[in-house]
Amino acid sequence: MNTRQKILNRIRRKVLILDGATGTELQALGMPHGMSPELYSITNRDATLSVHRGYLDAGSDIIYTCTFGANRYKLAQYGITDVHDVNRRLAGFAREAAGRKGLVAGDMGPTGRFVEPFGDLGFEDAVACYKEQALALLEGGVDLFVIETMIDIQETRAALIAVKEVADVFTIVTMTFDRTGRTLNGTDPVSALTTLQSLGADVVGCNCSAGPAEMVPLIALMKPHARVPLAAKPNAGLPRLRDGKTSFEMGPLEFGGFAPAFVEAGANLLGGCCGTTAEHIRALKEECSTLRPKPASAAPGSALSSHARTVVLSREAPLTIIGERINPTGKKDLQEELRSGMFSLVGYYAREQVKKGASILDVNVGMPGIDEKSILRQAMQKLVLNSDAPLCIDTSRIDALEAALRIYPGRALINSISGEEDTIEERLRLAAFYGSMFILLPITGRSLPKTALERRKIIRDVFRAARAHGFTKEDLIVDALTMAVSADGQAALETIKTIGWCSYAFGSHTVVGLSNVSFGLPERKWINSSFLAMAMASGLSCAIANPESIELMNIKHAGDVLTGRDKDAAGFIGYVSRQPHQALLVTGSEKPESMGERLAKAILNGDRDSVPALVDGAIGDGMKARVLVDEVMIPAIEKVGELYEKKTYFLPQLIASAEAMKSGFERLEPLLAEEGNSSSIKGRIILATVKGDIHDIGKNIVGLMLKNHGFEVIDLGKDVPHERILGAVREYEPDIVGLSALMTTTMVNMEEIIHLLQESGITCGVMVGGAVVTGDFAEAIGASYARDGVDAVRVAQGLVEKRRI
Amino acid sequence: MYQGPNFFHSIRIQPPEKEIYARLGFRKGITELNPAERDAINRTIEDAAGLVSIKGAARVMGLRSVGENGVTLEDETVLPSRALAVMLAGSSGVLLMGATAGPDVMEAIASCSMGDLTRAVILDAVASEMTDAALSWIMDYVGQDLLRSARRLTRKRFSAGYGDFSLENQWDIYTLLSLGSIGITMTPTCVLIPEKSVTAVAGVLSLT
Repeated sequence: MNTRQKILNRIRRKVLILDGATGTELQALGMPHGMSPELYSITNRDATLSVHRGYLDAGSDIIYTCTFGANRYKLAQYGITDVHDVNRRLAGFAREAAGRKGLVAGDMGPTGRFVEPFGDLGFEDAVACYKEQALALLEGGVDLFVIETMIDIQETRAALIAVKEVADVFTIVTMTFDRTGRTLNGTDPVSALTTLQSLGADVVGCNCSAGPAEMVPLIALMKPHARVPLAAKPNAGLPRLRDGKTSFEMGPLEFGGFAPAFVEAGANLLGGCCGTTAEHIRALKEECSTLRPKPASAAPGSALSSHARTVVLSREAPLTIIGERINPTGKKDLQEELRSGMFSLVGYYAREQVKKGASILDVNVGMPGIDEKSILRQAMQKLVLNSDAPLCIDTSRIDALEAALRIYPGRALINSISGEEDTIEERLRLAAFYGSMFILLPITGRSLPKTALERRKIIRDVFRAARAHGFTKEDLIVDALTMAVSADGQAALETIKTIGWCSYAFGSHTVVGLSNVSFGLPERKWINSSFLAMAMASGLSCAIANPESIELMNIKHAGDVLTGRDKDAAGFIGYVSRQPHQALLVTGSEKPESMGERLAKAILNGDRDSVPALVDGAIGDGMKARVLVDEVMIPAIEKVGELYEKKTYFLPQLIASAEAMKSGFERLEPLLAEEGNSSSIKGRIILATVKGDIHDIGKNIVGLMLKNHGFEVIDLGKDVPHERILGAVREYEPDIVGLSALMTTTMVNMEEIIHLLQESGITCGVMVGGAVVTGDFAEAIGASYARDGVDAVRVAQGLVEKRRI
Repeated sequence: MYQGPNFFHSIRIQPPEKEIYARLGFRKGITELNPAERDAINRTIEDAAGLVSIKGAARVMGLRSVGENGVTLEDETVLPSRALAVMLAGSSGVLLMGATAGPDVMEAIASCSMGDLTRAVILDAVASEMTDAALSWIMDYVGQDLLRSARRLTRKRFSAGYGDFSLENQWDIYTLLSLGSIGITMTPTCVLIPEKSVTAVAGVLSLT
């Protein structure tokens, strides 16, 4: 029996006990703050052995080597370069302490760098780093590996792949989740589990994070999806300040008391992280002595993951849409982009398809004249940064497939593996190594199997080959093969039969490339939608389709309800309520009586696009431009100001209304001039953000508000020198100078400008504002203070009135 | 760790919706927003998040002394601020940190400032709040690492420009963090560029 089997047998019988903290224990034994624990351990062998033995005596079945930070990047921070020696020797210490009393896990932690596409460390550099460490740990005598305290799923994958490529050794992988229930890089526990267990981790779990109370729910979240045992290694609660000293809050008994909750949640291995001691582990061991762990491997395996989301396929779940648009076939703009190594359209298609309801994105960059391996790899990286939908890798090239699978930070879907003799073994090998799901394409030779009967035979044959690589039916999705009904009137029915057989006899998920069915026919959307409804009734799991087709998505959501896959029709109701016409019903409930009223309402609602037409309509109804401004638009914008001051409106609504007002003014300007009203401005104001300051959004808001209230605004921009302001004042002779500053270092310029104005004998009003400016400061420098855009209008009106008295 | 600055070239965080709405003046139970308006604002927030590309830097340094009117770092850098000294009382070190939302979102704000100010103010709020959230992310990241050596960070952080911690101190922080390496520059008036860039100081406490 090998070590893997021995450990798994023990896990079936009892809760395995891991060790507790190493860093804080070494600190207690005298390790200075800020020193490398690995360096301290090597130079303090007895202290290290004492920590290991303390845990073994307390009941640890597995102890971790003190090599958490013994990778090349971390050690380099302390000037240590001999990675091999550090790991080999520290593994030897743990081996010496454990003897035959316990197992030794070679501990590998984060590099402190983030791996591409999330960071600047190359994926293969990360793999090489962990291989170097793993080889030395093996040489030092470890029985298994533990990859722990990881926050970057890509780095975690690199470490696990490194171990797999070094040796076939039992490996525990635990990640650290923060108070939001995700890693700092945004990975949730279920996605981490899905990715890591499919990639070959023998145990998955959480460590560090927070205390046991916060970790129990994370284990409970993972358990329904776990095909491997789960590990939990929490801190001794959170550090608390008590009597002037900061320490971990949880004592051994309280810590051990969480064991039943962990086991009930599904944990099979328990230990402690920061702040835990041998006494904490002893308490855990005692609590676990009577507990029986829940078995692993009960969970369904049809799940795909990205770095931040898991999509589970099940008979009960709604139809899954695999977005088909990232494919250059028939898209000239995408072809051009890919040829020039650009990926903005790839990102755009990803975002749009997910918005419209795709759960998985098919990625196909195949076309003549490109390096598909390189382009696919880059496209995958772009997509990972643009979307959290799991990806379906659609390529006929083995090298491109491997490059994509290697760097994809999730569990991907391969599109596809057929019965072709030349490729089936290599493709299955890749799928197995990277733990992917795959689409089983029932094709063997050049001709397509026409009937469901022929397809059934190929499906069985390919599955038999896949089973030899460890796959189950849950790891694959059968493509039922969609042919054009324009060429063969029976084609759709054969596909439907294949779907039915897979769903109810063979027991696998199914997918169709929907639009093939309507090839060559007009108004294809109706054929596609009808075919989808028929396929759903036969048990279809997924459709590769364009989610931007409204007809298709309507049928999908309705079909989910009718096939019992949308409990209480909640998904359908949510979908319908998100459609634009519903929003219109909410916003446009009353019919205005006149153009003027509709215009006022448009300004109140910030409906800028409607305003010019409504202005035209009101003028067409015979209203004078000045009357429209004074009796409709100004009262409307004043109402907006009131609503803003009462906080019924917030800033975006205020600005949207102001912009609607502005578009009305722009429409009316020629008419106002014709009516002889061009001179009826309320006042003239010069606005500027002072020298040295580049912040201007607040000033722009003030400018917009003032214009809407009849002021002539001369905006000098930002970072404006004093002399330019003075020159503009002389040129335009404004009623007011409005100055903005956001920084303490630049607000002093306001005072200097006021002095300059006074020295020049200029008597206009000065209004100041900005984040750091206060009423007291304004008063001290002899200016008026405006709190915000609405206040600025009031202050400006007051200053103008004062000048006219 | 962190003898020199540690750089984070891609900090991935979700836009903190609650804080963004609050920054824009939304008051729960008072502000009235219909579903279409909320959808439109949320879509803009999503767009903004796509334009924000957060980078950060962190450096843990020892504290030579904490006096009544300021603190002295291990390299003799003096940060004169009574309020900062109060926050760092009992600390054995400091975490200096900086983050930027990057230039793309600033370009987008500038380009729509004149034609679509509503969008500009939302982009501005998203960039501000995501940059601030990035500092929390850095504190979580470093804090987790410090726990292993029985240390933790103060819950609060303090930025130059607040209270008596004058903005001029940003020069020292900028230099110690080598913020130029992540594309941040500083004007003679201590304004960081891109505009949505921030620095802060937190304390490192030793657990007993």
